[in-house]
Amino acid sequence: MQKIQSKLKLLFIFSILFFLSGCEEFKDVDKDVFVSMIGIDLSEDKDKPYKVILKLFVPTSSFKQNPEANYTYLVEKGETLSEAIRMLETHIDKELDFGHMKLIVIGEELINNNKTKEILDFLLRRPDIQLISWITVGRPNAEEIVKMVPAGETAAYPSLYNYFDGNGTESPYIVTTFLFDFRRRMMDNGLDPILPIVQVSENKTTFTVNKSFVLKDKKTPFELDSLSTLVFNTLSMNVQMADIEVNEENELFVARLDKIKAKNKVKVQKDNQVSLEIDAKLVGYIAESENALNMRDLPKYSQLLEKEAKDKITKFMKLLQSEGIDPIGFGLKYKAQTIHHKRMSTEKWKEAYKNADVKVKVSASLKSTGSIQ
Amino acid sequence: MSRYFYYFVLINMVANIIASVPSILLRHYNEGSVSAMVLATITGTLIITVYAKFFIQFPGMTLPDLLKKTTAKWFYVPLILIMTVVWFIAGMITLITFTFLLIRYLTPEMPIILISLSIILSVILGCLIKTDRVLYTVEIIMLITFPLIIYIFFKASTDANINWNFIKEATLFINQMPNLESFTSSFYLFLGVGNLFIFNRFFNIKQKFGWKQIISIFFITILTLFTTYFIPIGFHGTSEIESLVYPWLQTSDSLRMKYSLIERVLFVFLLFYLCIAFLSILIHWHVAVEYLKYLFTFEKIKVKDVNIGILIPPAIFTVISTYFVQALNESQLFRFSSIFYMILAGFFPCMILVFFYIKRRMKYAENTK
Repeated sequence: MQKIQSKLKLLFIFSILFFLSGCEEFKDVDKDVFVSMIGIDLSEDKDKPYKVILKLFVPTSSFKQNPEANYTYLVEKGETLSEAIRMLETHIDKELDFGHMKLIVIGEELINNNKTKEILDFLLRRPDIQLISWITVGRPNAEEIVKMVPAGETAAYPSLYNYFDGNGTESPYIVTTFLFDFRRRMMDNGLDPILPIVQVSENKTTFTVNKSFVLKDKKTPFELDSLSTLVFNTLSMNVQMADIEVNEENELFVARLDKIKAKNKVKVQKDNQVSLEIDAKLVGYIAESENALNMRDLPKYSQLLEKEAKDKITKFMKLLQSEGIDPIGFGLKYKAQTIHHKRMSTEKWKEAYKNADVKVKVSASLKSTGSIQ
Repeated sequence: MSRYFYYFVLINMVANIIASVPSILLRHYNEGSVSAMVLATITGTLIITVYAKFFIQFPGMTLPDLLKKTTAKWFYVPLILIMTVVWFIAGMITLITFTFLLIRYLTPEMPIILISLSIILSVILGCLIKTDRVLYTVEIIMLITFPLIIYIFFKASTDANINWNFIKEATLFINQMPNLESFTSSFYLFLGVGNLFIFNRFFNIKQKFGWKQIISIFFITILTLFTTYFIPIGFHGTSEIESLVYPWLQTSDSLRMKYSLIERVLFVFLLFYLCIAFLSILIHWHVAVEYLKYLFTFEKIKVKDVNIGILIPPAIFTVISTYFVQALNESQLFRFSSIFYMILAGFFPCMILVFFYIKRRMKYAENTK
């Protein structure tokens, strides 16, 4: 009896094997093609407003054999983004895999035409698109950015990634916006979305990323120039390093800051008068100077730096207020400290924000004059 | 209390992060979720305390044992049947939710039945083993996966991209009346203690449940609710947060581990949660099968002396859950689980009345002896 039972058990276990479907449902890696970035442009065709450009990694058998970057591009127009991508699937013999896509480039024209909501919906709805992919604006259009391969690009890691991943260049001029960050900024009314602008540099060999767009009322873009982008980055604590040029009282030197701490406060008095307080702490050393410097005068240089930084921040804040844009999130800060039924309405807050006093306090301390005095 | 007690209490809490609990809570973020969570923490700790204190009086006895001893047949048969259904549904909800997650994120090409069957198959083999072995399985898997999940939670709450202003904003909604749906779904996190109904069989030695245990349970639940609710808000803001179908998955997708083997935390998170979901289904269905054993003697059903009776309940479970995996869509699943949580929030406190009755009868029985 024992024998039959154990035989039956074995039979049962083997019958489980029939549940295995083998490789029927599984696609081999060589049947997939990986998308490295997607560009979305506005096309001239009115019926098919979207133009999708995909940059695909061309598989190579080994890195040694083919160390240079190799890409294929697919371009298609469509009424919706999905339609364009569905058509693109007929352009290539393999399955398109978006799981490794880390960069989204939106054409400048599309941003100007206020199509961000539709694009965002597509990007969020697809589960295979990473929420940690970076979202950027391509100037003059996305196609040019996506199709450019700068000199010295290595296979498998597009050099445009390096600008944003905090691993290659860590310039204070580069704004990094993740897709999920862009989403929350688009949804919330106290924090405006900001996107970096990617340009092809003049000699057509590299990219330039030092400007940014702030979407006013989540719609019309307002461009921040390089300096404003730098100030934005220092204030919202995205960067650890920045250079500030100080030109005051016959001194011209460049301070390299290696520690930046900025705190924002919103204070509301009676009759909805708002004051915005920015408290910045800068620590650094002097990287370049026109005149010979004296170590004993470091406190004086620090004061000059304080004055310069205060000027720049105040100017930047005035710019934000006059345009009514809020990428730093004072509106959110206000919401975070006021109980919900006592808050002013969004319109009222916008008005109050525009008329708010700005109090900037900078405390700088320069620790060294560099290797020479 | 023995450490095994904490395992099944904890698993019920942690497993629900991927289920519909966070999305129900976040849907009502401005309608009294925060106060509902506060209320649930207090009542939840209370119910855990009452349940634990009741069962430590009867070491090694399961609830069906006690019911059989003290109540009439017309009372305990329907009650145990109801409990079987409750435990089965609790496991099934986790199963269906996780199947949906897998097909959405990990294996979109696989047929849905195959995914659910592969989970069910591994769970069912676990249902049939002995109670103490179930607990050992739980311990081993917990030891492997739990530190890594804690690490992901830690990473998330210290991430540079989490915006604490959103969290503060959400906390300020505390002065509202608690929302019923939010309350019942966060109360569900505490109901892992209900597994004591069967697992008390394992605790043969008299246990202690004092203030130390109550306070530690209290803090664990506060931490769990905080991660469940506030971390997704920190990453995604409050406005239109209800548009996220699986808030915690999208939160784990917003995490980036720059130097990790897999940069996209989502997949790591899904794999660890596969283990947690497995344990959660295993515990629930094991309890459900054990209940049925009190009502029917499956040993009697034999084909040529081979005992196949014991395979009947798992077979029924499989058939029902594979049917529902195909029949339900996401919105129905969420409604279904929301209603289920509401019913449980009524059912579990009512069991305390039964406990009182049992206690009195047991005392009486002892006295007459």
